[in-house]
Amino acid sequence: MNEFAIDLDHIWKKYPLQKDRPGFKEFFVNIHKSISKKKDKENRHFYGLKDLTLKIKRGECVGIIGKNGAGKSTLLSIILGTIFPSKGKVKVMDRVTPLLELGAGFHPDLTGRENVILNGILLGLTKLEVLKKIPSIIDFSGICEFIDIPVRTYSSGMYLRLAFSVAMHTDPKILIIDEVLSVGDEGFQKKSKEAIIKLIRGGITTVFVSHNLQDIEEICNRTIWLDHGKVMAEGETKVVVDKYRKETMCTG
Amino acid sequence: MKLSHQNLRREMDILWILTKKEIILQYKRTSLGILWSLLNPLLLALVYYVAFNIILGVKITNFPLFLLSALFPWTWFSSSVNAATVSLVSNRSLVKKFLFPKHYLLMASVISQGIHFLFSIPIIILLVYLYGKTVGVIWFIGVPLLLIIQFIITIGASLAVSIINVYFMDFQFIVAFILNMLFWITPIIYRLDSIPETYRFLFLYMNPLTPLMSSWRELFISNTIYWSWLAIAFLGSLVILFIGLLIFRRLSRRLDEVI
Repeated sequence: MNEFAIDLDHIWKKYPLQKDRPGFKEFFVNIHKSISKKKDKENRHFYGLKDLTLKIKRGECVGIIGKNGAGKSTLLSIILGTIFPSKGKVKVMDRVTPLLELGAGFHPDLTGRENVILNGILLGLTKLEVLKKIPSIIDFSGICEFIDIPVRTYSSGMYLRLAFSVAMHTDPKILIIDEVLSVGDEGFQKKSKEAIIKLIRGGITTVFVSHNLQDIEEICNRTIWLDHGKVMAEGETKVVVDKYRKETMCTG
Repeated sequence: MKLSHQNLRREMDILWILTKKEIILQYKRTSLGILWSLLNPLLLALVYYVAFNIILGVKITNFPLFLLSALFPWTWFSSSVNAATVSLVSNRSLVKKFLFPKHYLLMASVISQGIHFLFSIPIIILLVYLYGKTVGVIWFIGVPLLLIIQFIITIGASLAVSIINVYFMDFQFIVAFILNMLFWITPIIYRLDSIPETYRFLFLYMNPLTPLMSSWRELFISNTIYWSWLAIAFLGSLVILFIGLLIFRRLSRRLDEVI
């Protein structure tokens, strides 16, 4: 069996520029807006990731740091499989559980319970498994009395807590996390962080994106610093984070 | 990798939950709910009845049954294609954040509209008896066959329009126009033999909806299956499915960049 849970080999990701074809295209090209604006408008494309190679062993927890638009989220989506690389090979050995924009899969007009079933199934469970786990999901989220009303009436904290709770119950093998340790109130933040750390200690493979360097230092054994789609530094968390701190201090 | 039957189980569950979502959401926050899928074609039929039977004086016997026997299946087709057009763009967050077969989104639209159509069949049965006709055993062969053919046609068309609409949002307005045009060039409010004989073969062979809708009508009204129509519709449905798949596969390669 391959010892790598995630094996990215010379990945390039090319995006068409928004201004590329005026008129029609402006309607629908809008991901990567923030990045493309910085680039030369004459360029027909820009690269979200440039020749990125990354191997992650089973059970490893890897942190990804870098400025906005460095390619962190693109990298996570490539691991998840919702974005295809323009060049390069992606090998992911197990099902990936995304903790990206929590609640992105929720529909405001569906009830909490309906959304739990929808999200649970989309995250890889069968209908039966979800139904079995619902009591535990509701219990963890702590929103029992509101579970059968539409989530549009939820506070944003409740929304996120429920979404987090579903993801935690999908028996993750590979977890990709984008900045979600700050979910809900203080009590729930602590609870969610503990739940994630427990999963990581339990041997799942984790890729963890965060701007909170303390979280990275606390959780990850290895860290990668991305900038403009390229790896600036890679290695032991402390070394990379220190380097990154120094750099960002200098440039402000 | 997991056992394949568990994967299949999961895939079916995804299709099931997406369909359920469509059904729940379509009439959420309305008072009449799913009744609207019956009311809409019924009200439309009333308008055509006044316009054609009363004002223009078109002489067709049992006009309400004549009309609804093709209008209900047509509504399944057109509302599916309408829903499918925006099925990818309006579920953008699901497409971007979860890994699942994207075509399930439009299949869910087609299936949920199909379920609405099934609920309208009792109305047709009611009308059949009201006009002193009967429901023949042949319905049990004809209805499933026509359901399958129409499902294939609708999925094929939906595959194409849903993915094209991701690249050109203008397309949804073009689809609305095309559906409107198709409605008038398909024998729904008129009979196939009202088309001048010189052009009739064109309508029959170029547009599989023509033999399909005519087949529904003949089945419901006169307990007859015209196998040649069925064959034409079936071949046409395969062609449409093939083209739809081709377009969908070709364009979904860059879906992640544009959606």
